Amino acid sequence: MLEILPRPQQIEQSQLNMWVDESIWGHRLYDEQTPWLCILEMFCITQSEASNGRAFVERKLNDLRYEIYPRLYLRNILFNNPHIEAIATEGLDDNERWQMWMNAIASNVGGLASPDFSYLKSRFESFKDFAEIVKFLQSSAIEGDSNKRWSSKFVFPYGPDCLYEDLRVTGEKVTNDRRFFGRTGELLYLMLCRSGRGEEILSHLESTGIITHSYSSEYRGSKWNQLVLALQSPADRSAPRTSGSPPYLPYERLPEYEQLADDWLNILRCDLPDYDSLPHIVTITGLHLIIYLLSRAKATLGESTPPQFVLEIVAPKKTTVRELASDEFQKNSNLPQRAIEYTIRSIVDLPEWQACLNSYTPIEDAIDLLQERFAWSAKDDDLDGSGSPAELLGSLREKVVKRHQQHLGKFHGTWSREIGLSSSRSSRRTRYAPTDSLLRTLVLASVPTRMEFQEFLAKLHQKYGFIIGDRQATDLINSGDADREDFVANAERLERRLASIGLLKRLSDACAYVQNPFASEVR
Amino acid sequence: MTTQSLCRTSKWIEFLRQYGPIPRNDNMYDEVIQRTLRRKKLQPIAFETEYLGELLDNFRSASPKSVILTGTAGDGKTYYCRQIWEEFGGSVDDWQKDSKIQRLILGDAASSPLIRQLIVVKDLSELTLEEKQSLLPQIATAILGTDTSNVYLIAANDGQLVEAWTEAAQIEEIDLVRKAIEDLLVGDLRELDGFQVKVYNLSRQSAAVLFPRILKAVLEHSGWGDCNQCAYQSQGCPIWQNKQRLEGTDADRTTRERLTDLLELCELNQMHLPVRQLLLLVANALLGHPEAKHRLLNCRQVPDVIAAETTSRASLYRNIFGENLPERRRESTEVFKVLRGFGIGAETSNQIDNILIFGADDPELQPLYADLVLSDSFYGADLKYQAQQRSYLEGDAAKGREEFLGVLQAQRQRLFFTIPGDRTTDMKLWDLTIFQYAGEYLNDLYRVLQEGKKVPKSITLRLIRGLNRIFTGLLVSNQDELLLATSGSYSQARISRVYEESISVARKRGESVLVELDKSRKKPSLVVNLASDIEPICFNLTLTRYEYLSRVAEGALPSSFSQECYEDVLAFKTQVFRQLAVRQSMESEDEDREEAMNIRLLEVNSAGIASERTLEVYF
Repeated sequence: MLEILPRPQQIEQSQLNMWVDESIWGHRLYDEQTPWLCILEMFCITQSEASNGRAFVERKLNDLRYEIYPRLYLRNILFNNPHIEAIATEGLDDNERWQMWMNAIASNVGGLASPDFSYLKSRFESFKDFAEIVKFLQSSAIEGDSNKRWSSKFVFPYGPDCLYEDLRVTGEKVTNDRRFFGRTGELLYLMLCRSGRGEEILSHLESTGIITHSYSSEYRGSKWNQLVLALQSPADRSAPRTSGSPPYLPYERLPEYEQLADDWLNILRCDLPDYDSLPHIVTITGLHLIIYLLSRAKATLGESTPPQFVLEIVAPKKTTVRELASDEFQKNSNLPQRAIEYTIRSIVDLPEWQACLNSYTPIEDAIDLLQERFAWSAKDDDLDGSGSPAELLGSLREKVVKRHQQHLGKFHGTWSREIGLSSSRSSRRTRYAPTDSLLRTLVLASVPTRMEFQEFLAKLHQKYGFIIGDRQATDLINSGDADREDFVANAERLERRLASIGLLKRLSDACAYVQNPFASEVR
Repeated sequence: MTTQSLCRTSKWIEFLRQYGPIPRNDNMYDEVIQRTLRRKKLQPIAFETEYLGELLDNFRSASPKSVILTGTAGDGKTYYCRQIWEEFGGSVDDWQKDSKIQRLILGDAASSPLIRQLIVVKDLSELTLEEKQSLLPQIATAILGTDTSNVYLIAANDGQLVEAWTEAAQIEEIDLVRKAIEDLLVGDLRELDGFQVKVYNLSRQSAAVLFPRILKAVLEHSGWGDCNQCAYQSQGCPIWQNKQRLEGTDADRTTRERLTDLLELCELNQMHLPVRQLLLLVANALLGHPEAKHRLLNCRQVPDVIAAETTSRASLYRNIFGENLPERRRESTEVFKVLRGFGIGAETSNQIDNILIFGADDPELQPLYADLVLSDSFYGADLKYQAQQRSYLEGDAAKGREEFLGVLQAQRQRLFFTIPGDRTTDMKLWDLTIFQYAGEYLNDLYRVLQEGKKVPKSITLRLIRGLNRIFTGLLVSNQDELLLATSGSYSQARISRVYEESISVARKRGESVLVELDKSRKKPSLVVNLASDIEPICFNLTLTRYEYLSRVAEGALPSSFSQECYEDVLAFKTQVFRQLAVRQSMESEDEDREEAMNIRLLEVNSAGIASERTLEVYF
């Protein structure tokens, strides 16, 4: 039984009114933080720690503190700038354009007390050039076409000066409301720290140019980083904000952390050009966090088998594999909730609970016990009726489930959709059905150079619990839930899919090889 | 006069049926054919094969190497083995025995001091696990050169070969051999230094080369002599009709040439058809009829077919696409699946359909109609066709419409094989297939290159235009240069506006883009040269890729027609960029800390020409 780390002393009472989800998965996994935003948050932290010479080193467990930049000048220019297009096309001379624009933005700006955009004029040949560059950076923004608030849009992470935190901006007021940077990035960072592979990951990240350990006010970095820096006022680089309460990750060591880091390295070692490794890193992180979610849930429930996923390679007609994939999706979706309900219920097996029942003041003792275990202070309306400890527990269970369903309960569904693992295409139910981009990521992460197809299927099963072909589905076939032929056909479809995206070479009849196009040997 | 006395059953026709798509056990294919030949005392269908000469020379030489024959079912592995066996004195009876491993002594004491044993393994997959475990180590020693007393001839298809070696690879030596064989297979090589083995992949035999030989061997077979004694030869026997049409005359060989063209295009599109499938095609083409037993005619059924007036359904042109077979069998027969991939019969153009439907009534179309449709009373516009056509035009019962549309499909298929060579351009022959540019591909690109000449500039320019549109994701018309642009973030992004470099198509300072034949494989590819001392980057131009690039150049979106081609082109783009990086590092341009930072973006003017626009940032 792995030892669980002690709960933080100070729990933000304003935001947390109980500690149940967190005790299993940490504080916290958040559904509204998509995988991309999770990576961005993690980059911010990594850069901060790298600047202080301690990247991926966790000196004291669960005590992460870092500095993060608001970069409000940059963000206003890129995402809170509706006038720029119109002004660029106006028939005025350059100076007039600049003047008009600066007036317009000063009246519209958010989060800045006394904005001064005059630094821009000397940096660009003309206003039109400036507008072109802004347009270009807008087109490559992360989730740029979402309808999120402007302060939750992110420039592409070309370098350290492109990293900033998600904020809520109203007028001049700026707050970190953890709306989209919900700490999942913090957990990811801690996991990588605890994986023991931090040093190598850092050196790879440094060679992409996103992170640097020599960040200072003189730092320039790559061409694109400089371009983004050119839009920022000197004020943007000063005055970072220090983070608040540290995140909490329950276990010091887990195989999940190492597997996550290993896959990061597998992808980074492919030496993809430019920033091409990023989308794959995002996808594989998403997958590993989903596996982490389900593994912890299963561990809590006492199930020793690892999480499994039946994947349907999309077929034109409905097959038993689709049914099973939908069922598996449903089962996995329910696992976290079952885990927390079990946690609450299992308190009745404790001797302390018995003691409560037998004491003179059962309710008061029960309240104290629940407060101690779950940081929950029962309110008056919880104590209605005759007020037995069992009813109190029931009331707590209801509240726990409700809270769980608001966010963590949706994590599995949202993230599996985001990474292309699940889909509801041509079906009423959602099921596991991988997209081409997920398949590409899986090949990069699992195939060093070349691997025979059946071996590839076996590896996916061993690493992630994926069931695609008949050899991995023996249990399901033996129990009569599925036909062998359906799984054989499923694997055949995967072969064809991989061949059509250039990842598989067929020799003849029984012989097919999955190839990693970026492996050093395979050109 | 009874019909039977007029019709003589031809042994040859019955034998030919064996090659057609009848239900049979494919593993025993060669054996069954051999037995039938001897029983009926017929000449075999004999034609020259590609590698036999080489193989015989190898085994005659002073130091022969072991040979592994791979390929799919039907490529001729067993045939080659038998030919070699008989050539070196092996007896036919010995071969017919069921033993899976045959041994033969090569050479005699007089001609060479070393007496070697040739060990032939007819089919590696037939061996049991124990047999493989005892045999494979011995083969390994022969391949490694440590044992020269035995030389092996092994027939296996790729998958079985790799599997067998992987299972046996417990010992280090065997693992060495296993890796060598895997490298030979995956890299498509003939031999490797240090290993006494040659791998012949019979799938590499081109159908375009073999098919004419097969056709000739079948059409000129002495067995056809029987037909000269049959009265139905001149009374409408569909088999004889098909034979004549397929053969053509000295003046007009359109059908057989076009069929060969089609098969050549299949090869160029990386769809290999083994010899067995080509023989199946010929047999089905000549004998197919949807109402015959096993869907193949034999002589006895011909009178009934003529009497029932269903001869048009034995049309050669339908049979080529397996229309006589039920859908299931058609879908599972390789040659028909591949040929139907062209969509002939389903695809059409307004011009062709107008002729077929309105030709009888429209005075402008009438000459063409008479020429191409009416002139063929057997398989063209026979009376039935004309009746259905009228019924269709006059809007009669729905059933009539359905039938006519089915007949229309057959006519399109016929037209594909009969439109004469000098009319292919103005009739736009290839619009009858999915690959509208196939004619150009075959004649103006592939064959021109084979003759050692240069590809017409217009084709190269069109390909460049297509590539530019996919590389940049913008609707550009540049064709004199190859635009290399990135998105600044991902190399696989759909739209790339950041200008990196442009490569001149015409030879200039070491840069050039041209279409050449890939010398090792006889396949056309587009080659990008960045500098004289940098490895060029090649893009294999299969038929599908050619069609895709041409369509995009003419206005189709990059994501249409073929997702696979789109991915292929993006992968090609990545390769070009890699070499560009090599060139840039070799030019070792100093990263000057200039006063200004340059950002180059692509701007497209109203004529569709993209040019770079440099933005300077003073920072």
